[in-house]
Amino acid sequence: MGHSINSGYSAWLKRDLLLAYRRRGEAASPLIFFVMVSTLIPLGLTPESSQLAEIAAGMIWVMALLATLLSVDGLFANDYQDGSLEQLLITPQLLPMPVLGKITAHWLTTGLPLTLASPLLGVMLSLPTSGYLPMLCSLALGTACLSLTGAVGAALTVSLRKGGLLLSLLVIPLYMPVIIFGTATISYAIDGLNWLPPLAILGALFAASVALCPLAAAGALRITSAN
Amino acid sequence: MSWQWFHRLGSPRWFYQTSTRWLPLLALIAAAILISGLVWGLAIAPADAKQGNSFRIIYIHVPASFLALAGYYIMAIAGAVGLIWKMKLSYMVMKSAAPIGAALTFIALVTGAIWGKPTWGTYWVWDARITSMLILLFLYLGVMALQYAYHSIDAASKAGAILALVGTVNIPIIYKSVDWWYTLHQPATIKFTSAPSMHIDMFLPLLVMIVGFYLFYAVALILHTRSEILRRERKTAWVRELIEPEAR
Amino acid sequence: MTMYFASFQDLLAMDGHGIYVWSAVIISLLVLAWLIVAPMLSRRALLKEVARDILRERARQSSSTNTQGES
Repeated sequence: MGHSINSGYSAWLKRDLLLAYRRRGEAASPLIFFVMVSTLIPLGLTPESSQLAEIAAGMIWVMALLATLLSVDGLFANDYQDGSLEQLLITPQLLPMPVLGKITAHWLTTGLPLTLASPLLGVMLSLPTSGYLPMLCSLALGTACLSLTGAVGAALTVSLRKGGLLLSLLVIPLYMPVIIFGTATISYAIDGLNWLPPLAILGALFAASVALCPLAAAGALRITSAN
Repeated sequence: MSWQWFHRLGSPRWFYQTSTRWLPLLALIAAAILISGLVWGLAIAPADAKQGNSFRIIYIHVPASFLALAGYYIMAIAGAVGLIWKMKLSYMVMKSAAPIGAALTFIALVTGAIWGKPTWGTYWVWDARITSMLILLFLYLGVMALQYAYHSIDAASKAGAILALVGTVNIPIIYKSVDWWYTLHQPATIKFTSAPSMHIDMFLPLLVMIVGFYLFYAVALILHTRSEILRRERKTAWVRELIEPEAR
Repeated sequence: MTMYFASFQDLLAMDGHGIYVWSAVIISLLVLAWLIVAPMLSRRALLKEVARDILRERARQSSSTNTQGES
């Protein structure tokens, strides 16, 4: 009799959520970064409301992307350091499922808070009213894609020293389609166009990522174990 | 039985010895085709009606772009072969393909930028093709950096192969996204290779240059792979025999 | 085939576009040349390294056989 393949998913999801809760301060830093950096933009550019409105959608997306990038490094790094990654690798379940559990926990503690905090940034950056709902939808889907893709990069660099910077270099090109369609969703809405098509493409990217990224990340993790 | 040739193909020693024989001829042919294509394109072909003589940069820019993209797929396929059949030689080819592809992407970007100045007054335009080329350069640099960071050659090769394959899946997605993004934002219709129907007198030298660049790529890849073979196999007997043929 | 340009000077100048075309050509040729020269140099260096290893090993072997001969 085997374990059902889902048992690996929820077990590791719960574990990572518990660990994140214990390190709440650390887990909150991407969110704090996200909000604080939004004050840099008017300081660096202009406080002029109309000008901010033009760039608000793009800037919020860029900052969400950078905040996720900062946090995805820790997805496997903590486990690697305290030896629990070895435990993950000898688990009897198929490896992609626990990995997907960890990624889900990562999104719940990073992407979801960012998404929920984004209306606050929208107000600060004078985002037009029609942009709020599209922003929430695109960030929810998009940050999930970012967590998934980032996990592949994190798995590839987990055993390296200074892996964090290399991780960013590897993963940023893969993030570009997400940000293109994420911001387009918001811009379409602001311009009065139907914003569901770009959101649908974002959904397709999400579906592909859910299917493929856990496999790629699992494969990459096996390399580091053999290392 | 039928797999024998395939596994022999995977022997670094066989590759080194065979390429020693054939490389000079290949290099000669590549040089001949490149030189004749370049002379043809730069000095003999007619100038473009709208762009004048600056369009001649196309004879380097387009072949370089083709090879930059093809080179990434070659690198990824080499990585896949290495992962599936655990073939050392394939990993060596993959590692060699990365800097060559990155250099060609660099050439494509620089020639594209230089071409842009007389054509529409600015060195850089965020059009779909240039932006995709830039992202391709980043992907190449990532594969190089990742392999460099690992100390174990085996882990470096596997990680590089996985990253190359992830990039391969993403390249069409990235290109389509950037293309869509650009048509969304472009103020006016600017096409990079503006000739929808190129005159045959301009097209033929371009064809020659493309063939020449493919041959050049093969020569460069073989040269780099030979170096990599020596680097990884320098403790073996056959490499030592290259220096000192066994006198006994 | 006849040349498009009337003279060599015209070929260099290219109606004012010469600096663009020729700088693109020169930069490209330099990069392509580096792609050929770099592996050739590294191959030579690697073969030298192997030769050195052989000499070193031979020296070690001869010194050990000498000590063996003494006993």
